[in-house]
Amino acid sequence: MAATCQICVVLGLFLLPAFIYGDTCLAPVVKSQTYSTPEAVVSTDTVLIAEFTLTCKNNLKNINLYADIGGRTIPATKTYEANKYQISISDEHKKLPPGTYEIRIFDEEGFAALRKAQRSGESTDSLKPLFTISLSHQGIWSGPVLQSEFVAAMTAIIVWWLAYTARGKLLA
Amino acid sequence: MKFWVAASLILASVYILPSYEEEESGARLLVSKNILNQYLVEGKDLTVEYKIFNVGSRVAFDVVLNDNTFPESSFSVVSGNLKVTWERIAPNSNVTHAVILRPLKPGYYNFTAAEISYVVSEDSNERTIGYTSYPGEGGIVPQKDFDRRFSPHVLDWLVFAFMTLPSLGIPFLLWYSSKSKYDQPKPKKN
Repeated sequence: MAATCQICVVLGLFLLPAFIYGDTCLAPVVKSQTYSTPEAVVSTDTVLIAEFTLTCKNNLKNINLYADIGGRTIPATKTYEANKYQISISDEHKKLPPGTYEIRIFDEEGFAALRKAQRSGESTDSLKPLFTISLSHQGIWSGPVLQSEFVAAMTAIIVWWLAYTARGKLLA
Repeated sequence: MKFWVAASLILASVYILPSYEEEESGARLLVSKNILNQYLVEGKDLTVEYKIFNVGSRVAFDVVLNDNTFPESSFSVVSGNLKVTWERIAPNSNVTHAVILRPLKPGYYNFTAAEISYVVSEDSNERTIGYTSYPGEGGIVPQKDFDRRFSPHVLDWLVFAFMTLPSLGIPFLLWYSSKSKYDQPKPKKN
């Protein structure tokens, strides 16, 4: 009786890590692809999209993930491809200036800690995310600064002015 | 008189019934689908944005957004996914989803509604099906027409400058050669 119990305990000890890490993704391998609105013609709002495929060492599938981008917390959208997620953010051009955005991805556990920190007004920088994706936004191109017609007109005026002053000198 | 009674009854039912429904029903999702482009141009990115609002009082479970209104023959996906799912959407919260497509053909295209389905409460198996708003018809401009109107035409202006060069350059060279011939003695006089 005692022997079987001991075996149980030993087995339990071996299985314990497996239960503990049941929900946590071990050694996440992330393949990501990002998109940001390049020019104003394409969109009236700036849209940032990050797509990523997550592979865990312990073969976890379809876990819920959450993203934190500069204080905005959003749930990661799941797609119908296995372990592929998408994060989309959209806002006015001014509110999403060019630069590099660090998208911090949390699992359920990390998200709970994040919410707790946000509620108590603490800084969330110290929280360790599952992984981070950096998205570089080049900025919105809203057309050339000088219109080509303007440049052509200015060149024509300068040429005419040079010719006119030269003619003035000849006649003087 | 009868007409007024009937009208007021209808009005009352319209106003009262939804409020009853709202209290009873759990999750209720409203979805907008918008095309954010200023111009729809063939071969240029087309930004589609979906905004899902849960206006109900409970969490919506297993939300599936499926947009099969973009046939592969007319659009290619640049970034994002057209069939996505969320495990849960909390009450009074909203979720944004965006897809970037590229129109392959010019011409008028009718952008219609995408489909959304969700489970109102965790223990029910019944799926509620809804539709997004539809952006309506939009004209996709051919790339050539768009460039004709908006490209900086740098090459065209360079060609124009090159063509005007003889009429400006030949008189200038004639004048310059005669100027350098007759102007040289001047400094000696002074």
